[in-house]
Amino acid sequence: MKNRPIYPFTAIVGQEKMKLALMLNVVNPGLSGVLIRGEKGTAKSTAVRALADILPEISVFADDPYQLDPVEELESYHAICKLIAGTRREILPEVVTRKVRVVELPVGATEDRVVGTLDLEHALKAGEKRIEPGILAQAHRNILYVDEVNLLDDHVVDVLLDSAAMGVNTIEREGVSFSHPARFTLVGTMNPEEGELRPQLLDRFGLCVNIEGIQTAEERVAIMERRAAFDLDPEGFAQRWREESRALADQLLTARSLYPKVEIQRELLFEIATTCLEVGVDGHRGDIIMLKTAKTLAALDGRDTVTSTDISTSAELVLPHRVRRQPLMEIADNVQALRERALSGK
Amino acid sequence: MKPVYPLAAIVGQDTFKQALLLAAVNPGVGGLLVRGEKGTAKSTMVRALAGLLPPMEVVEGCVNNCSPEADEARCPECSRRYPQLQTTTRAVPLVDLPLNATEDRVSGGIDFPRTLREGRVMVSPGLLARAHRGLLYIDEVNLLDDHIVDLILDAAASGENRIEREGISYRHPSRCILVGTMNPEEGELRPQLLDRFGLCLEVAGSDDPESRVELMVRREDFDQDPCRFAAQFQAEGERLAEQIIQGRKRLPRVRISKALRGFIGELCREKNVAGHRADLVMEQAARALAALAGKNEVSVEHITQVAPLVLLHRMRDAEPPPPPPPPEPPQAEDENDSEQEEQEEHQEEQQQPEENPESMEAPPPQQSGEEEQAQESPQPEEQSQEEKGDEGTSPTGRDEQVFEIGTTFRVKSLTAAKDRVVRRGSGRRSRSRISQKQGRYVKSTLQDTGDFALDATLRAAAPYQQQRKRAGDQQLAVQLRPQDIRSKVREKRIGNFLLFVVDASGSMGARGRMAASKGAVMSLLLDAYQKRDKVSMITFRRNEATVNLPPTTSVDMAGRLLSEMPVGGRTPLSAGLAKSHEQVRNYLIKNPTAQPIVLFITDGKCNVALGERKPVEESLHLAQALSRDQRIRSIVVDTEEAGLVTFGLAQRLAGAMEAQYFKIDDLKAEALVNIVRGQQQ
Repeated sequence: MKNRPIYPFTAIVGQEKMKLALMLNVVNPGLSGVLIRGEKGTAKSTAVRALADILPEISVFADDPYQLDPVEELESYHAICKLIAGTRREILPEVVTRKVRVVELPVGATEDRVVGTLDLEHALKAGEKRIEPGILAQAHRNILYVDEVNLLDDHVVDVLLDSAAMGVNTIEREGVSFSHPARFTLVGTMNPEEGELRPQLLDRFGLCVNIEGIQTAEERVAIMERRAAFDLDPEGFAQRWREESRALADQLLTARSLYPKVEIQRELLFEIATTCLEVGVDGHRGDIIMLKTAKTLAALDGRDTVTSTDISTSAELVLPHRVRRQPLMEIADNVQALRERALSGK
Repeated sequence: MKPVYPLAAIVGQDTFKQALLLAAVNPGVGGLLVRGEKGTAKSTMVRALAGLLPPMEVVEGCVNNCSPEADEARCPECSRRYPQLQTTTRAVPLVDLPLNATEDRVSGGIDFPRTLREGRVMVSPGLLARAHRGLLYIDEVNLLDDHIVDLILDAAASGENRIEREGISYRHPSRCILVGTMNPEEGELRPQLLDRFGLCLEVAGSDDPESRVELMVRREDFDQDPCRFAAQFQAEGERLAEQIIQGRKRLPRVRISKALRGFIGELCREKNVAGHRADLVMEQAARALAALAGKNEVSVEHITQVAPLVLLHRMRDAEPPPPPPPPEPPQAEDENDSEQEEQEEHQEEQQQPEENPESMEAPPPQQSGEEEQAQESPQPEEQSQEEKGDEGTSPTGRDEQVFEIGTTFRVKSLTAAKDRVVRRGSGRRSRSRISQKQGRYVKSTLQDTGDFALDATLRAAAPYQQQRKRAGDQQLAVQLRPQDIRSKVREKRIGNFLLFVVDASGSMGARGRMAASKGAVMSLLLDAYQKRDKVSMITFRRNEATVNLPPTTSVDMAGRLLSEMPVGGRTPLSAGLAKSHEQVRNYLIKNPTAQPIVLFITDGKCNVALGERKPVEESLHLAQALSRDQRIRSIVVDTEEAGLVTFGLAQRLAGAMEAQYFKIDDLKAEALVNIVRGQQQ
């Protein structure tokens, strides 16, 4: 099971927008996630799982279920240890590095599995509290992947929103009062036919892409061929793409280190602000994410200045799901059209 | 620890900043409610405020933040030890109330491990204890479960939290600054809770590109290096903190003249607020503002500055809090709305608050012979089959029209009957027993549901303790055996399945009635969205009924379908009834514990039968058949216009179906108020 390789990210045919959005999030986790809207069978899940291939590494304490950063979150680590064991841990465990993971949140997950819960058996037998960490703990500093996010139970959505907003998961139930950091990149997929997401949750996704099946015969053939080749010999297939995967991973790493150096001109900032105003987004999250996306795009491209093209590309990724203003209004698929409408209305 | 975004670095939002400072200086203003769009720094600002507040003196080791001052209320523990109390200082707590918090965590509950070790019930303090003398922050307060809201209300009203549950009887002081944020799109707050918040304000994003740019730049700077960013604004933050400390010191000395008290009373009376809390809050807020400004006397300006904050959520025009805005306001409606708002401001009490649906602009009534016939004769059985065929061949004939959606309104609460069936789910419509670990703990059961009830378990184990102690060798004080285990039975509100059966025949198109009906359906849909229901829609016209929308949680889809729904043709009510029964039955097979609510939106005038019988007779017969399934609750919304000649067919239909019967106007949440008012005049 463990040995079976996953379909390589670089081997996915087409769906450039989705791949771009995912890559941007790998470079800059501050973009707070991607929502992928599209029909069935458009490589949504494949792409997210394949991400694992090209993800960077993080360092953690060995066997830390909360995966805290050994340097920056040392305080939280001590606090949690104290709460669980009752004493401060003087000797810190070994620090190991491992890849960022894709943690899946199944649609049927119950709330206590998501936030974590009290181990009752232990409490009854030994008379002390033991907390079983939930999926949100696993997802800290990782990617939280929610397939069919629109089918998720409402209260689970509320919990997700809470933690996504604060970067902290707070458990306040059944005699447990406990909190731990939970900052994750939220990746959701959904099929709009099954119902829309609540605007609150929608807004939490930094980027949004609409994808559809590929229409050219050639590419469709390429998809079939590659899939067949992969199913026949996963090892060999992955081997053949290894070089490209490594190149992409390197590109992402370079972009990561380049990001803090990316500059943006003041006029371009105004371009972002006016675009958001014209299109009519709620609040300022749109502006902030657009700036970050534009900068990340530049970094991904190996540049240290943002161009006007970066901004229009980022508008396409950032704005489609934000122009929606009321619960029962439709999501605008095309921001450009909306913008033109706004301009001509003046 | 990562620093929080400094309050001083927030661009704009000056009213919000001021309101927070007022609440910080004078806890007497009683909290703050922030209504507004997503992404307007609501949470950021509240968190930043907590960092600015000066540390407070508390009793050492007290989980309840009890004050060592002599004349303050104390928790039982501190009262016992008084006056031998050690004092320490602590930062003002900012307590987050997560939406999924259970009752025992909010008000306090049993401490499992300690109880088991010590053999007597030990209380573990809840969030209300932790938030005492601090800030209690509830994000999305309108999504909070009702029973949690009640707990908080009770504590806020009495300044004391009383736990009388699960074998605990315990009380401790609990006074905190309540700060709530909400997005009105997701549903309104209960009026009682609304009133409990002293101040209320609306926030929106800035329209000025300049400040938007500034905001972006600052946020990006902060994200890149939070520590350096925070350091930049430290001086400014300290100035604000100092302002709060000075304001608090000054507050007891701030005077208000009798004339100005009169002015406050006049303001509140003019805005027709309920009760006297507004007056009191306004005085406190004005004093806080004066104290902040370094004045010892409240002036008129102070009052006029705080008045909007106090009155926004309290002024009324004999109308409950504003309904959620209509999703797609057509032009005509926009005008109505603004008129209405003006009325609210001018307080013309004699004005009816709700527009009569008929009075609003609507497309001209269509003129087809078919439709007139339907109006004149309720039983046009003489219609020939040929005519029906004719209509079938002209799908885009001129008898077809699409109407705008009329004015939407707040719908009164419609719920399913309560029973003992255990369900899963979320939402906010009907109360039900629930299988998740959510909602109110109502009693315990022997069945193992995984939701452990310690109090009941202890009670079950209590009689056998002596006997077991002799045999057992555990180090725990209480000896539990598997047969003692009890589980919690919980109850909460969940969403229902709503089936809309909409009459789209020509008779509905007359005189803008369809616009009003669509408005009513849209209002019900908005309500369904807020209560998280599943919806499905069937329309019937011409010769058949069609399922336009299979059961889905996508209320959006239903809304879209509704706005595009054409009207025209004859009325096959029987077909609609049969189809709805089929749909509900299928749904019940898949979800045996569901409680469907079927809403018929029709005038009851039918002229197409399924079989040989007369259409009306047949429809009534089918309706009776439908009423036999006890799991289904039916509601008939009569769209027939009140006039000289009414047929009351929908009412007869409702009678046959044993359904609840409403006119469109009866559905409105404020209908009752209006009826009473009408009688008075």
